Amino acid sequence: MQPSTAPCGRLVVAHPDRKAQRSLQRLVGATLCPVEVVSDVDALIAAMADDETAIAIVDASLAQARPDLQLRKARAWIAVPGEGLASADASAIDTLLVAGWRHVVAHPMPVLAEELLATVQKLLRGDVFGLEKYMAWGAEVRSYTLEDCRDRDDAVATVARDVVAVGLPDRVGSLVSVIADELIANALYVAPVDGAGVRFRSADAREKPRALTGRDVVTLRWATDARYLAIEVRDRWGSLDPTSVGARLATSAKQSSSEGGMGLPLAYACCNQLVVGSDPDAMTEMIALLDVRYKPTELGRTASFHSFTLRTRTA
Amino acid sequence: MKLGRLDVEVSGQRVVLAGRIDDSVALGELAAQLPAGALVLDTAAVTFVNSIGMREWIRLTRTLAARGAPVTLERVADVMMTQMNLIPELRKTVQIASFHAQYACPSCGAEATPLIDAVAHRAELRSLLPPLVPCGECGSLMALADFPERYLMIFSD
Repeated sequence: MQPSTAPCGRLVVAHPDRKAQRSLQRLVGATLCPVEVVSDVDALIAAMADDETAIAIVDASLAQARPDLQLRKARAWIAVPGEGLASADASAIDTLLVAGWRHVVAHPMPVLAEELLATVQKLLRGDVFGLEKYMAWGAEVRSYTLEDCRDRDDAVATVARDVVAVGLPDRVGSLVSVIADELIANALYVAPVDGAGVRFRSADAREKPRALTGRDVVTLRWATDARYLAIEVRDRWGSLDPTSVGARLATSAKQSSSEGGMGLPLAYACCNQLVVGSDPDAMTEMIALLDVRYKPTELGRTASFHSFTLRTRTA
Repeated sequence: MKLGRLDVEVSGQRVVLAGRIDDSVALGELAAQLPAGALVLDTAAVTFVNSIGMREWIRLTRTLAARGAPVTLERVADVMMTQMNLIPELRKTVQIASFHAQYACPSCGAEATPLIDAVAHRAELRSLLPPLVPCGECGSLMALADFPERYLMIFSD
């Protein structure tokens, strides 16, 4: 009897606490990939062995002590909360984002389990797009394609109204308004670039009409499964640098004013998990997830962040 | 007067804003049209603020603060509180007298945005301690539905 195929790859869990090691091993073991467990940074470096197919799942406090780890060769470096039942420290998340970590999980169990498994599978399978990966089967996805720049307000208002109509509180509707507005504005006015890399729409008057066809097409989708509410916005430019966006999110909040570039940091501040997917020069997808099960104070104070880049054979 | 999708009503030293603070509002230019002296800004009826709107809000408060007279915010809308806490500069340029805060009831699950008197609760707020508020539905004590370190940061020293 032959088993069905499973995603191929190698996973290394690094955590000083034995109980947390067991939890993390079980979580990522669900991928059916071999999982190696180590307790410290030296053992982690040895286990990773500059293997570009390996994924490291690292305790955030270990990662914070050695933020340069993520510069080493690997398929991905993922920082996870120090203990299964506690959120990651907000300052640790900032440190890691500034250092260039592309995957930082902020929230404790059970969110940790859902988020970590989805992240690892996206990396292993090289299948990085779509809000469906965060939804339970059966959740209906609603989609809108903007036909003109001026549809932005209608799209935002419609989503916010629909969200409240399914029974979510006004507070969530308000957050959805801000997130959708910022992500759509980013897709409409920041994403378009010319051959010289100039963002030629950034100074456009926002009330100016512009038909959205070809590369200007912007789509908005949302869904909820009563665990999460996901808002997804796609542009067809793929011009966002996925390696630098995390640092921008972490540093913008510390600036003394917000004279510019506050759109994505604001969306990040309003959600529990921000996921960037990039197919360079073809598409950028932003997914903001709100956890609607728990009180905000039961989750991490700072949102999780993930940044994926589509690769031809491996992600 | 109307600025984009924002209604502005000036009555003596009191300015009431209602509607959306977004790309359509050149709020920075409003300062020149407001009377000299101490001002009270009431934003209870503001329903939406995006990042460009917040930039305009900063320009307005910065210009008003530069005039030297105090600027007091009353009945700050919940949608503004979330974003104002992201901007450290606002801790210095404005005084908040009252604000609508996100509260949730642990007993019945109700959510509400009660008005909090920031003057009466000044000491607690400075210590990032959310005032206690009874639930309008079941009477139990509600809890702030956000991290005090995040939602009340604007009150910290």
